[in-house]
Amino acid sequence: MAVAAFAAAVLFAGCAQDAPQDTFQPKGPNARTIDDVQRPLFYVAGIVGLIVFAVIGYSIIRFKDRGQDMPEQTHGKTWLEVTLTVIPAVILAGVAIPTVAAVFDLDDKSNECVINVTGQQWWWEYDYSGTCGGVEITQPIVTSGELVIPADTPVLLRITSRDVIHSYWIPALNGKRDAVPGRLQTLRMEADEPGIYTGQCTEFCGLSHARMRQAAVALSTADFQTWVTNQLAAYVAPEAGTLAATGEGTFVNQCSRCHQVNGLVAADGTPVLAEPDLYVVAGAAPNLTNLMTRTAIAGWTFDLLTDACREQLWNASPEEFGSLYLQGVWMNSGPDATKPVCFAEATLRDWLRDPAAMKPNYASPDQVASTGGLTRGMPNLNLTEDQIDQLIAFLLERK
Amino acid sequence: MADTTIHAPGHGTTTGLSNNKLAMWMFLGSECLLFGGLISTYMLYRGRHEGGPGPAQVFDIPLTSVSSFVLLMSSLTMVLAVNAAKAKDDRNTKLWLTVTALLGSLFVGGQVYEFTAFYKEGLGFTTSLFSSSFFTLTGFHGVHVSIGVMMLLALVAIISRGRITGDKAEAVEMIGLYWHFVDVVWVVIFTLVYLIPA
Amino acid sequence: MTTLELRSGDPSDSLVTPSAALGIFRRPLATTGWKSWVFTVDHKKLGIMYGAVAMFFFLLGGCEALLIRLQLAAPDNTVLSAGLYNEMFTMHATTMVFLFVMPMAAAFANYFLPLQVGARDVAFPRMNALGFWLFLFGGIFLNSSWVLGGAPDGGWFMYSPNSSALFSPSHGVDFWVLGLQITGIASLIGAINLIVTVINMRAPGMTLMRLPVFAWMQLVVQFLLLFAIPVITVALFLLSFQRNFGAAFFDVEQGADPLLWQHLFWIFGHPEVYILILPSFGIISEVIPTFARKPLFGYKFVVFSGAAIGFVGWGVWAHHMFASGLGPVSVAVFSVSTMLIAIPTGVKICNWTLTLWGGKLWFTTAMNFAIGTIVLFTIGGLSGVTHAAAPADTQQTDTYHIVAHFHYVIVGGAVMGLFAGFYYWWPKMFGKTLSERLGTWNFWLMFIGVNLTFGPMHILGMQGQPRRMVVWPDKLTGDGFFNLGFWNRVASVGSFTIATGVLLFVINVFRTARKTEKAPLDPWDARTLEWLTTSPPKEHNFDSIPTVHALDEFFHRKYEEVDAEGGSRLVKVKTAEEVQAELNAHPDEHMHLPSPSYWPILLAFSLPIITYGVIFNLMLSVFGAVILLLAAFGWVLEPSVAGHDEYDPPADSGDSTKELASVG
Repeated sequence: MAVAAFAAAVLFAGCAQDAPQDTFQPKGPNARTIDDVQRPLFYVAGIVGLIVFAVIGYSIIRFKDRGQDMPEQTHGKTWLEVTLTVIPAVILAGVAIPTVAAVFDLDDKSNECVINVTGQQWWWEYDYSGTCGGVEITQPIVTSGELVIPADTPVLLRITSRDVIHSYWIPALNGKRDAVPGRLQTLRMEADEPGIYTGQCTEFCGLSHARMRQAAVALSTADFQTWVTNQLAAYVAPEAGTLAATGEGTFVNQCSRCHQVNGLVAADGTPVLAEPDLYVVAGAAPNLTNLMTRTAIAGWTFDLLTDACREQLWNASPEEFGSLYLQGVWMNSGPDATKPVCFAEATLRDWLRDPAAMKPNYASPDQVASTGGLTRGMPNLNLTEDQIDQLIAFLLERK
Repeated sequence: MADTTIHAPGHGTTTGLSNNKLAMWMFLGSECLLFGGLISTYMLYRGRHEGGPGPAQVFDIPLTSVSSFVLLMSSLTMVLAVNAAKAKDDRNTKLWLTVTALLGSLFVGGQVYEFTAFYKEGLGFTTSLFSSSFFTLTGFHGVHVSIGVMMLLALVAIISRGRITGDKAEAVEMIGLYWHFVDVVWVVIFTLVYLIPA
Repeated sequence: MTTLELRSGDPSDSLVTPSAALGIFRRPLATTGWKSWVFTVDHKKLGIMYGAVAMFFFLLGGCEALLIRLQLAAPDNTVLSAGLYNEMFTMHATTMVFLFVMPMAAAFANYFLPLQVGARDVAFPRMNALGFWLFLFGGIFLNSSWVLGGAPDGGWFMYSPNSSALFSPSHGVDFWVLGLQITGIASLIGAINLIVTVINMRAPGMTLMRLPVFAWMQLVVQFLLLFAIPVITVALFLLSFQRNFGAAFFDVEQGADPLLWQHLFWIFGHPEVYILILPSFGIISEVIPTFARKPLFGYKFVVFSGAAIGFVGWGVWAHHMFASGLGPVSVAVFSVSTMLIAIPTGVKICNWTLTLWGGKLWFTTAMNFAIGTIVLFTIGGLSGVTHAAAPADTQQTDTYHIVAHFHYVIVGGAVMGLFAGFYYWWPKMFGKTLSERLGTWNFWLMFIGVNLTFGPMHILGMQGQPRRMVVWPDKLTGDGFFNLGFWNRVASVGSFTIATGVLLFVINVFRTARKTEKAPLDPWDARTLEWLTTSPPKEHNFDSIPTVHALDEFFHRKYEEVDAEGGSRLVKVKTAEEVQAELNAHPDEHMHLPSPSYWPILLAFSLPIITYGVIFNLMLSVFGAVILLLAAFGWVLEPSVAGHDEYDPPADSGDSTKELASVG
C-alpha cells in the first residue's frame, strides 16, 4: 500500500543506481549535513506513519459493526489527549534541535575560492577571479553551464540573476539557493572527489525552465590548474585557408554580436567585443572562448559528447575522471586526429540551424517585437549549411 | 400573538449585537490587513526614489496637517450625527451627516491639491518606487474617504425622502464606524508617512 | 438539465408568500423555473449552485491535470508545447484551489451552516447571492483567457519578476490577477456573512461548545479568509498597477525587491492551505462519529486544535521561502514554527482514530472516504514534517517530493473529505441517496488512484526531478528500481485511475437524479441538527426552531440510556420521524423569509465588465463602474423584506421569526 511504497522509497532511495540527482547520495560535506537531518526524519516519519496506520487498521477490523451494542458515548479522556499532544511535541523537539544546528552550520561562509554565479533565461554564467583552491587566476575566466571547481575545497558561490528568479541546485553537493535579481546570495559547495555532479534550475523561470540545467565538475588541484591555464591560454587563430579560418569570419559576422571569444580580432586588427546587452533581454550570452571544453551546450541541455563518450566520462573513476574531462570532445581521439570522435556534431548542427526549435524562447516576430527587438535566447540566424560547416570547424578549435 | 407557547427565536441575536454591526466590525478587521499590506509596501520603498524627488522634497507638512485636522474634526461631527440619530432627531442627523460629508470632501480636495502639486514637482505615479507606493497607499485611503462621503450623502438623501429600511440609528452608526476607522487609518498614515522621516 | 432536477424544498410549503407590491422596487417573485434560481437568495439553492459550478471547475481542472500527466508519461514528450504546459499547470492549480476546493467548501458551508446552527438562512442573504455570482463570473473571466490571447503562465504562485509584462507578455497574468480579485471579493463577503451567521444566529441553547465540529472548522476558515484575502488583494493590486499602469513594484531595475511579492503571497498563501483543508476536517469530524456511533473523541481538543492551526498558520509562511535566502535566523525560526503546527494537526489525527476505537463501525461510502482522508492526510502530513526541517527542504523544495506532499494533503485530505461530504449529505440535500455500489467503486478507484499518482512522486522528487518541467530527458532518469521513467508512467496511469473514479461519481449523480426512490429521513442515524428537518429541507429550514440541550442534539433526542441487566444500555427510543413530529407539533408562525433579488447578479456582472475594460479598453471599465454604482443604489433602496401587510395572507400578528438585515 501507500505506506509500504513510502517506506520503501525511503529505505531504498540510498541504493539507487546511477541516479545523478538522488538527494540521498551526498558527495560533499554540505550535502552530508543535510542528509544527516533528512534521513532520520524519513525514518521517524515512517515509524509514526506505521503506528498510526496499524491503529487505524486494527480499529477497522476489530470494531466493525457486527451487531454489537451501541458503544459508550464517551467524549474523550483528558489524560490521553494530553499524552497524545505531548508525545508529538517531544518528537518534534528532537527533530527541531538538529535542524536548527544544521541551519547555522550550512550558513558557514569560510572558503578557499569564490565564484560568481549568474542566472538568466535560460542558462548559468560563472565568473572566476582571484585565487581558487591555491590556484591563481590571473585574468577573469567567464564560462557557462559547467561549474568547474577544485575537489575537496570549500567553494563559495555568490549567486544572483540578470532577469527573473532562478535557483541553483546540485543535489549531490548542497541544497538550493535562489538567484534573485538585485540580491547577492551565497551557497557553499564542496565535492569530496573529482567527478561530475548534475543539477538544474529549480525556480520556475519561464518558457524554457525545463531546459536550464547545470553541472558541477570537480577536478584534482593539478587538473584544476591545467583547466585554468587552458582557459587563460592566448587565442590561436585558425590556420589560413582552412575551413575554420573561413569560419572565423562567419563567426565575427554572425555570432560575435552576442558571443565573446576572447582574443578574437577583426580583419582590421581591432578586438571583437560582444555587446549582448544590445540584442538580448537578459543582456548576456555565453562566452565561447573555450566552448569545446564543456560537455553540453544551451543551458547544459544538449550534449556535445556522443552518448558513448558521455557514459565513459560519467562512469570514470575519480582518478581517471580529470584527464578524460580535460580532453573534452577530443576524448579518445589521439593526438593527431583532425576530427574528434566524441563530438556529437549533429546536435550542434541542429542547434545552429534553429535554436528555438530545440529550446523555445518566444521567437515569434510579434513576441520579439514586444521587447523592442531583443531576443530571449539565440535567434534563428538562417545560416546556410556551408556557414554551419564553417562555424563548426571554427568552434571545434575553441578547446 | 398566536404562538406564545413557543419561544420565538431570532428576535434578538445570539450575542445581542446586531448582525449589521458585527459584520461591519469584521469588515473593518479585514481592512486593517489591507492597509497593513499597503503601509508595509510603502515603508519598504519610501527610501527608493532615484530619478525623482524624495519625501523630504515634496511633502508640505503644514498643509497636510491642516487637512488631517479637518478629517479628525469630521469624526467629531460624525459622533454628533450618531447621537442625533439615536435621539431620533432627523434634522440634526441630516445636518451633522452633511457637515461630516463636507469635511470629508474638503480632505479629499486637499489630497487632490496635494497630488497635483506633487505632480508638478515631478512626482508622477510611475516616477519611482517611492512615488508608486505613496500614491497607492494614500490613493487607497482617499478612495475610502470618497466612498464614505458618497455613503453619507446617500444616507442624507434617503433619510430626507423617508426611504430608509430597517433601523435608522443603526444605519448612521454603521457608517460612523466606517468613518472613524478611515480616520484612524489616516492618523497612522500621517504619522508613518509624513511625520517620521525616511 | 431536465434529467437532473435539483430541488431545494417544495415552494408550496412556504408558510407565507410575499405579494407582488414591495415598495418602489419590486422584488422577483418566481418560485419555480430558472428565475427562482438566478434571483434566489436562499442559502440552500446558492449552496447547490456553488457545488454544481465548483464541480464543473473540478472536472475542468482535472482535464488539465490529465493533459499534464499525458505530457509527462514519456521522455521528451510533445503532447503539450512548453508554453501550453506552463499555462496548463498554472491554470490547473488556480482552478483547483480557487475555483474548486474553496467554493466547494463554501457550498457545504452555505448549505449546512445555517441548518447546523439552527437558523432559517444566513445573516445576509443577498450578500450570499452576490458572493456566488462573483465566484461564477470570476471563474468564467479567468478561463476566458484561454481564448483571449493565452492563459496565465507564471505558476499559481506568480512570482515576480517573472510575472511582469516583459517576461510574461500575453494578457494571461492580467486575467489571473483580476479574476482572483473578483473571486477574492466573493470569499471576503462570504466570510463576513458566515461569521455573523455562526456567531449571531444560533438556535437557543446552541452554545459555541455545542456547535458541530464542521461549523467550528468553517468558522475558523472564515476568519482565516477574512484576514488572508486582503493581503493577496494588496499583492494583486501592486501587480496589476505594475502591468497595467506602469508602476514598478517588482521591477528590479528600479530598485524593487522581488521578495516583497513572495512575502505578501505566502502570508496569504499559507493560511490558504488551511482554508482548503479545514472544511474537510470538519466534514470527516461529522462523518466519523456518525458511522462509529459514538461522539467525536476529544471534541474540545479537536475544536481548539483547529483554532490553534488557524493561529499558528499565520506564523509559518516563510517556510515556502527556505531557498530564497532569508538568512539563518529567519529560516531557523520559521522551521521551528512549522514543526509546531504539526502538533495540533497530530492531535486531530489521534482524535479521529480514537473515535474509531471502540465504535460500531458502519462502512458506508462516506465513511470509507472519511477513513481514506485520515490515511492519506497522515501521509501528506508526515512528508510535510520532512520539509519543515529547512536544510532538508532545500533539497526537497520545488521537486516532485513537494508535489507529492501537497497532493496527499489537498487531494487525499481536502478532496477525499469533500467526497465524504457528498455521500453523507446527498440524501439531505436532494432527498435521494447516492448509489453505494457505485460509491464503493468511486472510493476505491480514487483511493488507489491517489496513491498510484502521488506515491511515486515521493520517489521522483527525492531522485531530483524538479516541478514545472515540460519534459524530463531519458538520459538522466537513472537505472533500476528508481528509474524516473517508470515512476512517471505509474503516476500517469494513476491519474487516469482517479479520473475514472470521478467519472463514476458523475454517473452516480445522474443516475441518482433519475431514480424515484426517496431516501429515508435519517439514513445514517445521524447526530446533528441538519437532520432534524425534512430532506430536502423546506425553504424555511425548520418548521420550528429547535432548542438545543447538548452536543449531538439530534442523536440525544433519539437515544436514551435504558436500565438493563449489568448496567444501562443505550437504546433508540424514538425514530427520526417521531422526533421531527414532536418538534413540529408547535410550528413557528409568520416566518419572514428573504425575498429574491435582482441586484446581486447585476452587481456581480458589473465586475467582469470593469476588469475586461482594464485589459482591453478603459471606457468599458467606466461603463462597468456605472452599472456597479446603479446596482449598489438599487440594492440599498430595495426593501429588504416585505412589510407585515404585504404578505398574502397578511402577517397581521406582527410576530416574525426571521429578522432580516437592512443591508442584507
